[in-house]
Amino acid sequence: MEKIQKCSCGSDEEGLLERLEEIIISFKDKPGALIPVLQATQSLFGFIPEEAILKISEMLNEPLSKVYGVITFYSFFSLKPRGQFLIRVCLGTACYVQGANEVLTALKQQLSIDIGETSADKLFTLDVGRCFGACGLAPIIMVNEEVHQWVKPSDVKKILNTYKKQKASTKEEINQEEIS
Amino acid sequence: MQIKLNNRLYEAQEGETVLDVAKRNGIYIPTLCYHAKTGQAAKCRACIVAVDGMRGFQTSCNLKVREGMTISSESKEVTDAQRMVVDLMLSSGHHNCLACERSGTCELQDACYHLGIEKTTFSDHPTGIKDESSEFIVIDYDKCIQCGRCVTACNHTVVNEVLGFGFRGLQTTIMCDDQIPMGESSCVQCGECVQLCPTGALTDKKSRGKGRYAELDKVDTTCPYCGVGCQLTLHVDREKNAVVRVTGREVWPNNGMLCVKGRYGYEFHASPKRLQYPTIRRNGKHERVTWDEALDFIADRIKTTVDKHGPDVFSALGSGRITNENNYAIQKFTRAVIKTNNIDHCARTCHAPTVAGLAHAFGSGAATNSIDEILETDVIFVIGSNMTEAHPVVSYYVKQAAQKGSKLIVCDPRRVDIAHWSDLYVQLKVGTDVPFLNGLMNEILKNGWQDETFMNNNTENPEDMKAWVKDFTVEKASAICGVPVETMLLVAKMLGEAKKVSVIYCLGITEHVSGTDNVKTIANLQMILGHLGKRGGGVNPLRGQNNVQGACDMGALPNVFHNYQSVTNEKIIEKMEKDWGVSGLSRKEGYKLPTMLHKATTGETKILFCVGDNTVQTEPNTAKTIKEIEALDFLVVVDIFPNMTTEYADVILPDVCFNEDEGTYSNLDRRVQFLRKAVTAPGEARPTWWIMQELGKRFGVDLKFTSTNATWEDMRKTGTIMGGITYERIQNLGLQWPCPTVQHPGTPVLHLNGKFTRGKGLFSQTNYRPQAELPDAEYPFVLSTGRRLWHYHTGTQTRNSVGLENIFPEELLEISPADAKMMNVKTGDMVKATSRRGTITVKAWVTERSPEGVVWCAFHFREAHANVLTNDAYDNVTETPEYKACAIKIEKVSDGVKVMERGFRQARP
Ligand code: SF4
Ligand code: SF4
Ligand code: SF4
Ligand code: FES
Ligand code: FES
Repeated sequence: MEKIQKCSCGSDEEGLLERLEEIIISFKDKPGALIPVLQATQSLFGFIPEEAILKISEMLNEPLSKVYGVITFYSFFSLKPRGQFLIRVCLGTACYVQGANEVLTALKQQLSIDIGETSADKLFTLDVGRCFGACGLAPIIMVNEEVHQWVKPSDVKKILNTYKKQKASTKEEINQEEIS
Repeated sequence: MQIKLNNRLYEAQEGETVLDVAKRNGIYIPTLCYHAKTGQAAKCRACIVAVDGMRGFQTSCNLKVREGMTISSESKEVTDAQRMVVDLMLSSGHHNCLACERSGTCELQDACYHLGIEKTTFSDHPTGIKDESSEFIVIDYDKCIQCGRCVTACNHTVVNEVLGFGFRGLQTTIMCDDQIPMGESSCVQCGECVQLCPTGALTDKKSRGKGRYAELDKVDTTCPYCGVGCQLTLHVDREKNAVVRVTGREVWPNNGMLCVKGRYGYEFHASPKRLQYPTIRRNGKHERVTWDEALDFIADRIKTTVDKHGPDVFSALGSGRITNENNYAIQKFTRAVIKTNNIDHCARTCHAPTVAGLAHAFGSGAATNSIDEILETDVIFVIGSNMTEAHPVVSYYVKQAAQKGSKLIVCDPRRVDIAHWSDLYVQLKVGTDVPFLNGLMNEILKNGWQDETFMNNNTENPEDMKAWVKDFTVEKASAICGVPVETMLLVAKMLGEAKKVSVIYCLGITEHVSGTDNVKTIANLQMILGHLGKRGGGVNPLRGQNNVQGACDMGALPNVFHNYQSVTNEKIIEKMEKDWGVSGLSRKEGYKLPTMLHKATTGETKILFCVGDNTVQTEPNTAKTIKEIEALDFLVVVDIFPNMTTEYADVILPDVCFNEDEGTYSNLDRRVQFLRKAVTAPGEARPTWWIMQELGKRFGVDLKFTSTNATWEDMRKTGTIMGGITYERIQNLGLQWPCPTVQHPGTPVLHLNGKFTRGKGLFSQTNYRPQAELPDAEYPFVLSTGRRLWHYHTGTQTRNSVGLENIFPEELLEISPADAKMMNVKTGDMVKATSRRGTITVKAWVTERSPEGVVWCAFHFREAHANVLTNDAYDNVTETPEYKACAIKIEKVSDGVKVMERGFRQARP
């Protein structure tokens, strides 16, 4: 499991743990507090660090295994830091046949990371998925909510560059509906 | 009603399931997730049946019967479907029965056997993933069928809340905490999950390859560790004379649940360190002698000394760890042969204030209610008990009750683990129980929350009581005990408005200079509230050792014969003289344990006959105890292991242990339970009753201890409250005293309907008495002491069993984070703890369990044990030492290795 990392820029992410405590306190005595607290944690850190799991379990008085069970049940929650942009490569049959694996290899090389990992600059997280339901456009990759179609390995660098420039300002807001 | 199952009619009761009816009538339906204790999970679908008029198949484990229901569990259609379910289950793991521990008792194997499945028709999916990180438990993920029993058990029977399901779909898996290895998790290794797992997915590590269930003899007996008196089954390899595995019996008081000591601390009987032969010290060395030599020598020394100085120079100690029969034997020997009442035992160091305080208030010095009633109460008021460690199985019930909605109030200076499950945790200062409770009573009376009828009808002096606590306002109390006024008001309200309150307390109440007063104050509280003499209420002390209740019951006390018959009552004395066939029994009360020892230094105690006590390590202020022991003329120690006390003995006699003889223990709710012989004792070890019989002969007295049963029968003849308990009656289940006649069914609830043993309940006035040694500038910390989950007494049993010591290998001094910071101490650092009486060097454990200014450690490890430091100040009524409070100072010695800590809910760092 991942822990909080001290940022090289000097800003201490542990300060976020105090914010988390405040959040937990605000939810504490409401029934079903666990999921909203986890959502808030996810958006606060971009993932759910081990320290947060321990804190949530302790403060909400819920068994660790329950907290962890909920985190791993919903794909919205992530136990590893997620980059600002989540790249998901479709490995469904159509995309696979059209060369999705080569695209994936190119992405791995460009970002020097493996599936499930996040690039050193914390911009990109690489993930794979099954059929996105747009086989006509195969192979496709999704970057956050944007679809890129008929991707060739040689396109990868360009696509990444557009996102690198796009200094996305705020971290995405969590969508309550998505999980409840 | 009637239902039709496989074309035959069966009687069924409203509320029963189809499975219940089938089981009752010996019809096998495969079940893999259902278990009586974890309930109907309706998860595995192995138990499916077809019901006329219902679509598809139904799971019989949660299908309620209806009049006229027609069910088939054996048609081809149904068994084909069952077969498919089990087949798929097999294929989703990897089941190789050849070397599986559970082969023969595995419920999956049973299902395959009944359904005729030889192997899965699909390909199976071995992953080879095993978790062997835990000391005692192995998880073989390939054999997990995800029935969920272990998860339910861990969360809802023992309520340790470790196991859960993680991930989803095909990835779903059981896991500990946040999917960390079991050995690193908060698992307390109670083994409940192992016991309930239907397959070989969870097994006992130590038993691997040592014998399958069917090959071993099963011996039902009682746990030798704590006062809960769990019923367990020893799985014995007779040829090797070894216990191979322990399982819990699903009967009261523990309903199959055990703790780590009871389930996994079983090898000590076979330790090569056991005492095996009588020895006499000659020229500073212990030499092996025959029993005759040893006994002649002892008899001779006693005779010459007593002839010269009178019987009172002889003192004897029974023990809360040995059987009733053996305690009875020692006290009878002491009284009938030596003619002194100088007999005592370690209840002196723990619950003597309970015996005295409750006898004073109610007429009977034991727990008023039973363990199972915890589940029937509204408010559980726990004070001074670290139950998750010292009485784990009681804590399971308390946690279950809390989960089901009973309110739980935990009062303790330390944030003991049970506080995690409480609705309200009240942190009071060490030793301020009397003002705290008096403040509560003042508030209860002020608001009219008392049970006026109960007070008027069932107590002797209600008006006095009201007058006494009148001035004890919550404000005054709060100033002393440090609990905020609002919290006190809240507690008073919760107690005052509850329909039923059960008070549970332990040594945090008794081991103080005000011990007896503390107990009396609790009695006052329950008499005001009127929660006595009914189910779910009561004053319930958790007796510490396996048989400390029994040692009291047997009269190993200086003021009473067995069954609490006074040694100063002429009628009773005459009865004993007549039955025992002796004359001239002592008419005066004997010395209490501390007095016995103290009088050694003045020459008034010359001989100490000590059975199973390990006095040197268990009495406070070890340096002083050693001086006293050294001052004795003659010390005989009967025990199963060499210990700190045997080192000073003139004669050492080897005793048998709990599974080497039969006998009985009385547990903390007065339940007399049976022990069976499972293995043979090493060398020439002999039971204490035999030793006493043989010694008696040498004084010309036949004590009538010809067998264990004969000893018990001898007790019964002159016994009262236990007179109706025979071996025959308790073969399967224990009986709770009072049980005066062989027809009597036993007494789960004392003082029923407020009819107290002494007639009416008696209120006693109590006032605040501070601890004897308060912290000061030189010794700024309060040291409190107690027991750990992983160990028992002076460690002779737990440290000689395999594994417990790996989990908790050495004593740790618990220090609050604030104090630790001030002294720059981290967990694992070496510190020196010093009181006015001695110094120990221990590792520190920085933990939020300790409040600022209070540190804590236990007495299990002779290398560094609390009693070097503890204060020999005593409760004035019972001479129980103040183990729970003395003043110490702490210095850091050196840095330790950094220890990874995951925080709370753990009995170890
Ligand atoms: S480990 Fe055993 S009890 Fe637990 S889910 Fe798996 S098969 Fe069931
Ligand atoms: S041994 Fe006890 S605490 Fe540990 S996982 Fe099993 S049931 Fe839970
Ligand atoms: S709770 Fe007590 S009696 Fe039960 S198994 Fe543990 S030590 Fe033995
Ligand atoms: S296979 Fe990629 S979108 Fe369907
Ligand atoms: S036993 Fe009925 S569904 Fe598992």
